[in-house]
Amino acid sequence: MKSNELVIENISKHFGGVAAVNNVTLRVEPGQFTSLLGPSGCGKTTTLNCIAGLEMPTDGVIRIGDFVLNDVRRGVMLPPEQRELGMVFQSYALWPHMTVYDNLNFGLGLRKIKGEAAKKRITETLELVGLGGFEKRYPFQLSGGQQQRVALARAVCAEPRLLLLDEPLSNLDAKVREHARLWLREVQKRVGITTVYVTHDQAEALAMSDMIAVMSNGSLLQYASPTDVYERPINRFVADFIGATAFLEGTITAVNGDQAKVLLKGGQTITAQTNTRWRDEKEVAIAIRSERVQVVTDSSKTDNVIAARITSSTYLGSKWQHIVETDAGSLKVESLDAANDSILKLYLPPSAIILIPNS
Amino acid sequence: MATSSRPLTSSAPSIPIDKIVQWGIFILTILLVIFPSWPIFYQSVMDAPLYEQTRQFTLDNFSRVLSDSEFWGVLGTTVVYALFTTIISLATGAALALLIIRTDMPARGYFSLLINIPFYVSPLILAFGWSVIFGPQGFFTILIRNIGLPTWDLYTLGGLIAVTAMYYMPYTYLYCTASLSLSDSQLEDAARIAGANPLSVLFNVTVPLMRPAITYSALLTLVSSIEILSIPLVLGTPANLNVLATYLYKIGIVGVKTDYGSIAVVSIFIVLLVTALVALQNILMSQEKRFVTVSGKATRPRQLLLGVWKWPIFTVAATAVFIIIVLPLFGILLQAITPFVSPFINPLTILTTENFDIIFRTEPYRLSVINSVMIAVVGGAVGVVFMAVVAVVAYRSSLPTRGALRYVALYPRAFPGLIVGIGFLWAFLLVPGFGSIRNTLFALTLAFIMRHLPLGFSSISPSVLRISEELDRAARVAGANWLGVIRHILIPILRPALLSAYIILAITFLKEYSVALFLFAPGSQVIGTTMIELWRQGSSGPIAALATIQMVIIFALIAISRWVLGVKLNEVE
Repeated sequence: MKSNELVIENISKHFGGVAAVNNVTLRVEPGQFTSLLGPSGCGKTTTLNCIAGLEMPTDGVIRIGDFVLNDVRRGVMLPPEQRELGMVFQSYALWPHMTVYDNLNFGLGLRKIKGEAAKKRITETLELVGLGGFEKRYPFQLSGGQQQRVALARAVCAEPRLLLLDEPLSNLDAKVREHARLWLREVQKRVGITTVYVTHDQAEALAMSDMIAVMSNGSLLQYASPTDVYERPINRFVADFIGATAFLEGTITAVNGDQAKVLLKGGQTITAQTNTRWRDEKEVAIAIRSERVQVVTDSSKTDNVIAARITSSTYLGSKWQHIVETDAGSLKVESLDAANDSILKLYLPPSAIILIPNS
Repeated sequence: MATSSRPLTSSAPSIPIDKIVQWGIFILTILLVIFPSWPIFYQSVMDAPLYEQTRQFTLDNFSRVLSDSEFWGVLGTTVVYALFTTIISLATGAALALLIIRTDMPARGYFSLLINIPFYVSPLILAFGWSVIFGPQGFFTILIRNIGLPTWDLYTLGGLIAVTAMYYMPYTYLYCTASLSLSDSQLEDAARIAGANPLSVLFNVTVPLMRPAITYSALLTLVSSIEILSIPLVLGTPANLNVLATYLYKIGIVGVKTDYGSIAVVSIFIVLLVTALVALQNILMSQEKRFVTVSGKATRPRQLLLGVWKWPIFTVAATAVFIIIVLPLFGILLQAITPFVSPFINPLTILTTENFDIIFRTEPYRLSVINSVMIAVVGGAVGVVFMAVVAVVAYRSSLPTRGALRYVALYPRAFPGLIVGIGFLWAFLLVPGFGSIRNTLFALTLAFIMRHLPLGFSSISPSVLRISEELDRAARVAGANWLGVIRHILIPILRPALLSAYIILAITFLKEYSVALFLFAPGSQVIGTTMIELWRQGSSGPIAALATIQMVIIFALIAISRWVLGVKLNEVE
């Protein structure tokens, strides 16, 4: 299957005076899987709908290779049916009055693929999603997971220029979802199609994507690989959204290669790993990944160890979770056993600490 | 980059056929609504009939009508009539809904079936039925008089109110039933836990929750009883008792010298009154949202046990339904198959087909049956297609004025049938090119469709809204244009709803008479206009035969739709 790069240049979408999408630019390499990630109302779905042609941007350019979908200033606004895309919707949107076969065949017919060619294509695509032999079923006769597979088959069947996915896993229950995640990525890789995926679930985005575009309030905050987004969030919002659970305040006192000394509020100095070039005396926010914080019982470690006082504890089955108070701020930490003292020593490994410029 | 050099090649300017269709439907709907309205407003400020060459602007028509004491008298009667009709039909409808949905009264299913009958029967027929049974020479009246008990006079304001209230009672019953079966029984359980006894729950929780349904039915009944012509015409005219609708009929059709100015002014007056009430209905309904308790899950409501009162209540309810609905229809049937109805003669000994023979032998009468069926079957089909397209454009298009289209489609609600008829008649006379179709079935069909556009529109649009918009979007992305989405996705999914709307529209067209009264001409008469003509001649036998024929056709339609097409008619007007 041919794969194309998707280029989005400076697109904006205003509803009345409100900017749902604000000057977003990004490029998806051929065959890549890119996620648009953000909380509800961040503009990710509007961006996807602009690519699909279901909504028209108020400014900017969208093109696939040389094929221009939108060029607002030149008055190019291709309606969705002329874009030759494939899309999977949140509700799957399988047409209830058509069989599985007809659901796939409808789009093929409109793209002038008919007769034996269409039949062969449908059979192959259904095999691809593991639903060979389901041609005559109606959507209501399928489970949620099967419906989702049909929706994907329908989207890729006509060999579209792009595959668009609008939170396709959000209607599945947790167990099926994790399986579907792997399977979906597997199919996408095999087909080799350039894909844009919308989700609000950071774990999903991290697990599946080649690139993640984190959005908030209509703006693109960071566009980077999953590791970069996770390890080097560009600001506090991204860090927060991608899984940091606490923020402490501090000031950088010295930088030595990739090691930075940070003076915490309260007077203690810790060492953090960083690949950003910091200046001295720079105020920073310190994002902490609580799953990497260790509770230490012996006194062998002294570097990066801070004292904390437990304010509440919750039993979670496999572990305990504590809310603790330190001189630099409050944190959430985990331990395997119940704490028998309300005073804890916490080891913050340099990798658990992310320094973010204080804006 | 290659992009900037060739952006325009990828979108050759295609003919926006979807835009043409959408604007076309919008303009067509507006024209259909304006066509019969403007002559009325225009005529009201002209000193001579519109067809005369010399006419001038005047406000005399208004001052003449407003200084006429008869007009004010009629208005007073109408207010009393509409208010009491509404109160009585609300009380009986709500009570029956409570009894049937929430208690263990016996034979609830049969009650429900009988109460819905008036939906399918023309009010004209019910009025004749009541006069056959309860009129001064009625079957039941004579029976009671003979026993020596005091009797009643049906041809009074009280009689009018009683019959009209019973005709509209099913509306309240229907809306209250829907509200009762949807409300969450946990609300009642919570009241029981809080210490309320079953009766207190009923009056403090259940009944207040019916408020939106009652408000809605109240205004619907109020509006309908201002509009209705048939019952006041049949039962009020003998006693010279007039409401606005019969007054309009009198000065428009029966009067010696037709006063066009007055007709226009009275029509405008009624339209404004109804518009105000419909607007009030919308305002009140939007405030009643707080009572909506639909939780999505179907909880089976607990039944209130009537205990020792079970059989007494059943007897009262059964007698009422028997007298109100069964007896009048039975009277019509009896009248149709006998030369006269009397409690002293066994009807089986005087059976005759004479009444039916008259209908089938007399060409104009026979033609009216054929015409009615034609309009119902063909006109109903045309109407439902048009209304479906209007609903789809109003809710599933990019038309910038689609919001306005929703109002336009519902606006004929404010035009009583009689006035729609007057408006179309005048418009056909005045607009060049339409004169030739004035006396055709096409003219009647057009008027029927305009008058019942709100009915079709509001019965189809909920089904349109229930279809997830993602289905449209998926089809667009798959390569279908707007018209393709309608043809391949929306229409097939809507098919059951459209069939049910078609049956409802066909039944409504069969029952319709008021629109046709001004508009029909020899050759385009329908069952309703023939019945009124026969009534003016005093031929009660053939009326009953015609009524029976109409009921048989309607019940055949319902039977076909239910058992052959599998349509459930749950949204009747």
